[in-house]
Amino acid sequence: MVRVSKALLKEASTGLSKTLSEILVCPLSKQPLRVCEETGSLISDSIGVSFPIKDGIPCLVPKDGKILDIDDATKRN
Amino acid sequence: MRAATLYQRSSLLLRRRRRSIEPYALVPSGSFCTDNGDDFESTNTSSRVTIFDRDLKRKQRDRSAWLMRPDDSFVNAVAENLLDRLEDCKKTFPSALCLGGSMEAIRRLLRGRGENNSSELLSVSKLWLYADLDLPGAINGSMRNEDVNDAMYWWNNERHYLVFVPGAIEKLIMMDTSYDMVKLCKDFQHDAPNENIETSFVVGDEEFLPIKESSLDLVISCLGLHWTNDLPGAMIQCKLALKPDGLFLAAILGGETLKELRIACTLAQMEREGGISPRVSPLAQVRDAGNLLTRAGFSLPGVDVEEYVVKYKSYRKLAAYTHTYSLLHHDCCDLDTSLVILFCSRLRLYAHKSQILLGVAMELIEHLRSMGETNALLQRNNILKRETALATAAIYDSMFAAEDGTIPATFQVIYMTGWKEHHSQQKAKRRGSATVSFQDIQKEFGSGS
Repeated sequence: MVRVSKALLKEASTGLSKTLSEILVCPLSKQPLRVCEETGSLISDSIGVSFPIKDGIPCLVPKDGKILDIDDATKRN
Repeated sequence: MRAATLYQRSSLLLRRRRRSIEPYALVPSGSFCTDNGDDFESTNTSSRVTIFDRDLKRKQRDRSAWLMRPDDSFVNAVAENLLDRLEDCKKTFPSALCLGGSMEAIRRLLRGRGENNSSELLSVSKLWLYADLDLPGAINGSMRNEDVNDAMYWWNNERHYLVFVPGAIEKLIMMDTSYDMVKLCKDFQHDAPNENIETSFVVGDEEFLPIKESSLDLVISCLGLHWTNDLPGAMIQCKLALKPDGLFLAAILGGETLKELRIACTLAQMEREGGISPRVSPLAQVRDAGNLLTRAGFSLPGVDVEEYVVKYKSYRKLAAYTHTYSLLHHDCCDLDTSLVILFCSRLRLYAHKSQILLGVAMELIEHLRSMGETNALLQRNNILKRETALATAAIYDSMFAAEDGTIPATFQVIYMTGWKEHHSQQKAKRRGSATVSFQDIQKEFGSGS
């Protein structure tokens, strides 16, 4: 899982620089982040939260995060 | 009214706590997007105390981005001082993180230094080239004697400055809690890029540092960390993000900051309201700073303090003018203008009689706002009575004003330096491992003298 997300991070083309994608992790769980190009956001799979990227600036303040419904659903199942 | 809201807030807290007892509470529910993220804080950090309203601080930093003055001499002095410390290190720092606070100043000054330095370097090396290739010719003709001497002196003594700040930082990440602040920095960067430094931008919270473990060589923070609720926690996270032998460099405001304002506020509130409420936020003392560094686990901790006194021009002349003006026009502007208006617009400041006295202190308050350093206590009193404000300004003026009509404000800045441990660092030897007794040393040197 982690390996896949790392590979995805490196191919990211959402305006996120290589430096950032290498260094940034989820602020809450400190686990790697995955770039979702569809929504233009960074997704922390470990806690199921997506963080927006506004104008090339990733917003990783916990309050900016949105909880993903799908993830919740899968966890409940 | 206030009591009611307080009650509501506390009951909300209670409810949230009760919910955490339920099963499935560990699955991250909606809780960390709500009020203060209490649930998360309590699981992440040991301390439950929330002193500062981080949301409000974020908004204040937004405003500070709109109000920021590039010529703020206090902020520039602190940033310069921090960068001086950086230059004192012989190590290079390929990747650096600049935390919130006055990070624009850091970026600007880093850039300035880089340019100055490289141009200086270029001219000196050119000199040296001349001197090297055609020394007699240079001395006789195009070059002055002192220049050649300068070049030789520089080459012999100060070559080590070649590994200097511009080359020392290759990648710089700038982080702040306020999007507007980060955006502002990014725009500045766009207009005047740091050619030597690859700069990237993140919006993030110091209390929840979104940085991978051991990935940075330097964390630098200029006047930002004193607003964190959990300063030890934030520093521990910084330490985790550092590589071994990485440097943590921070400037925070110390307890002596704004002592004049603190005194004036307290006296005025005692006089007018018969009690006091915190108007100036609690800040770390110098002795705490050392403890913080050790507690966060930094080796070779270093703390030093500097006090800056900023003098604010009072508007007495202008105020007097407005005063007479309003008297002439029988403008009986009753003292009803709310302070909200006063604090919102500078122009109206001179329009009302009641605000004349406040004009004296306004410069200070505006400076604080432009730095984003206004009160963000969770338990702050939202209402500042007009009378109290006037009394504060009057007391401030009468107690602290200088002869030339300026009012001083003290800012105490604590500089903290700490390194992440590394085997190459010097450390004390194990206890009892000494081979020579101190008494022998004393005998040796005692007999010599």
